[in-house]
Amino acid sequence: MRGAKSAKWVVGAVVVALAATACGGGDGDSKDKGSAANGGVFRMGSTEPDTIDPGRAHESTGILLANALFTGLYSNTPDGLAEPALAESATSDEGCTSWTFKVKPDTKFSNGEAVDAEAFARGWARAAHKAAASDVAYHFAGIKGYEQLQDGSAKTFSGVTTPDPTTIKVDLSKADCEFVLKTAHNAYSPVPKVAKVGEEDKAFGEAPVGNGPFKMDGSWEHNKAINLVRNDDYSLQKASLEKVQVTLLNDKTAQQLEYDGFQAGTFDYAHIPTPMLKTAEAKYKPQNKWFAKDTNGMNFVLPIGDNGPTNNKDARLAISYAIDRQAIAKGVFQGYQTPSTTIVPPAFPKAYQKDLCVSCVKQDVAKAKEHAEKGGLKPGTEIKFSFNTGAGHEEWVQAIAKQLEDVLGVKVKLDGKDFPGMLKEQQGNGATGIYRFAWGADYPTPENFLFPLLHSTSMNKDAEGNVVGDNRVRYNNPEFDKLIDTARSTKDEAARLTMYKQAEKMAMEDMALIPTFNRSQFRLMATDKFNGLDDINFNEDPILEKISIKK
Amino acid sequence: MGRYVARRLGQMVIVLIGATMVLFACLFVLPGDPVGSIAGSDKARDPAVVAELKARYGLDKSLPEQYVNYVAKVATGDLGEDFVQRREVSDILAPKLQNTAKLALLAIALVTVFGMGVGIIAALYRYSILDMATTFFTTMAVGFPTFVIGMLLMKYFAVELQWFPQLGGDKLEGMVLPAVTLAVTDIAFVARLTRGTMLEVLRADYVKTAVAKGLPRRRVLFKHVLRNSSIPVVTYLGISFGALLGGALITEAIFNWDGVGLALVQAIQQQNNPIVIGVVTYSVAIFVVLSLIVDLLYAALDPRIRLS
Repeated sequence: MRGAKSAKWVVGAVVVALAATACGGGDGDSKDKGSAANGGVFRMGSTEPDTIDPGRAHESTGILLANALFTGLYSNTPDGLAEPALAESATSDEGCTSWTFKVKPDTKFSNGEAVDAEAFARGWARAAHKAAASDVAYHFAGIKGYEQLQDGSAKTFSGVTTPDPTTIKVDLSKADCEFVLKTAHNAYSPVPKVAKVGEEDKAFGEAPVGNGPFKMDGSWEHNKAINLVRNDDYSLQKASLEKVQVTLLNDKTAQQLEYDGFQAGTFDYAHIPTPMLKTAEAKYKPQNKWFAKDTNGMNFVLPIGDNGPTNNKDARLAISYAIDRQAIAKGVFQGYQTPSTTIVPPAFPKAYQKDLCVSCVKQDVAKAKEHAEKGGLKPGTEIKFSFNTGAGHEEWVQAIAKQLEDVLGVKVKLDGKDFPGMLKEQQGNGATGIYRFAWGADYPTPENFLFPLLHSTSMNKDAEGNVVGDNRVRYNNPEFDKLIDTARSTKDEAARLTMYKQAEKMAMEDMALIPTFNRSQFRLMATDKFNGLDDINFNEDPILEKISIKK
Repeated sequence: MGRYVARRLGQMVIVLIGATMVLFACLFVLPGDPVGSIAGSDKARDPAVVAELKARYGLDKSLPEQYVNYVAKVATGDLGEDFVQRREVSDILAPKLQNTAKLALLAIALVTVFGMGVGIIAALYRYSILDMATTFFTTMAVGFPTFVIGMLLMKYFAVELQWFPQLGGDKLEGMVLPAVTLAVTDIAFVARLTRGTMLEVLRADYVKTAVAKGLPRRRVLFKHVLRNSSIPVVTYLGISFGALLGGALITEAIFNWDGVGLALVQAIQQQNNPIVIGVVTYSVAIFVVLSLIVDLLYAALDPRIRLS
């Protein structure tokens, strides 16, 4: 009786909630942060994940759960800084090709097994092996022996050794002075012996045994719920919540259901459907339940740089100057998105260079026309603008198309497709025009934008000349490549950042990508019932381990 | 009769083969590569992962080959593995089929009771206030799109009044709103249909005869009028039940009801072809079976109809 169990939970949660409000009522102010107690059930809705296996989790719910169930060497703070978790130290040699991690001793998985260096090596090899066919395996690409795991000829990384239970030595095939940041990704989680390496492992993913602040309470009830319970043996700062109940929703109506559920009091946390933002803010901001943040995601117009009308810098500049970002932010997004003027997001404060994209700051009709003429964008030129339908992009894409037509006199042909269709075309040899594009960071470094999106090796062309990598603008600038390569092998952080900034400036001068809007996130949080609901983490999720119920 | 059923079931196999072939051809025409991208992500999938998955799912083979392999596997009861979660399609669909069936049963029960009930009353009290109200409300109900009904019901009864849970769940109270949403239009149709055929039958000679020979009113009504006027209604209910069992795309999506309709919508968007093919094959099969049952019921209701 799976259903009966979860229904009982709801009743339990309601009782807890009532008790909480009853107590809070006596004390008056809901801002009272004073007393917190262990216990409580935190209820939220989220989409049914593809997988919650730490070696494969790649979308929002999967990442939320993998991070609640597993703790790796490093973790990211909400402000985009990596900090040690189970790592006591991380050191590299001068050339950044060899790394040594010291693992905190005597920590355990929830089944009692030790989390030693071997558990990390196992987890990494398991995620990178061909049999896992993991969408996050590429995070291991820099480690020696990756190819052998990818073709299935090895079951361990030749570049990962564990001389003793608290030491992990990693040899990289190429210098990477920021490798330590990668270890904050869920793919780098340790796994216990029950997780199988080198074969497809479905059972583990249904109820993973981890070492995180929470553990599974039962198995994944598909399309119903995933329930977590506090891991009392957690080796770092223990969580306070007794349980976390994630109701699984379908992906098309999830945001609406989360929002309705928050209003009805059945969820303590919710995303907000875009059309409801205004209403939600008006209602919940005065109650201190409204939360807004610009995160590490960025939206772009992606021009194909080696073909068609956008094959030169001037044409791309003309497009950028012709877009009135402020008008769209106000008109289409009702002020809930901010225009962006960079490739690297403001969420990386150390690397952020506000207004780096001069043409992005303000619409400039005269300059747009001037560059259009130089760049061969004659009035009447046809530009194809492709986007994926059904994901809420229609309105702003149309607004940009209209602005381009009005300012430049070009003919913009809108081409809406489903995502796989759009991607295939964009990758294709001979792709032209501009595309809707967005990118979010996996690790808190500008490199995570600049390398995959703009380094020439990230085009990764296949035999037919299709770009299967992420550099789909086909940006190919040897000077830029050299800067990035040097930066990656520069140990000094300040010097490295300077090079990344320089590289971003270079790409911006070439207008390789056209920035449009920052990714702004909005949430509703039951701050009257819980403490610790004042931020979202690097993955845009509630910080479950910091939440506690108010007495 | 036995031969008739056997022949109809034989036809079903042909229908199923035809349906899956058309489906395979349709899926093939879709742009993009079903395993080339990750659902919901802007990042292109790693080419190595794409190659591995293509090999694993036999997508590197020609379309006719894929079809033959598929049919051979289905014949042994194996629907394959889905592309997104990489779970057995039958494992994924089994609970969804149950959920859809539960909802369909409740909805069809509502339709039968309220549709026929209202229709009978309207016919018996023709041109009364009750009859006119029926005409008015059924016309409105037919005109309202399902999604409007569903969203209004949810907004008022779940979010504001909180009489029912917002998200289904396994209990009866969670099924009420989605079942009502599904039933409203059909209740209206059945009420009008029942009323119309009842009025026709009431005017028939054999009813007049029955009344004239002094049969009690109740007996005339149930034995003669209702039985004879139920044939078109039963047809409608049967077909409607078949459609409901095939999954209600919109209603399931609104109420996050974990049924086959919702699964189909998502699978199509994700190009999760094994699920699409599984659901459509099932829907076609259930529809064919129900229309066979309806035909058998005809013969039971009206002995003049012979099945051959």
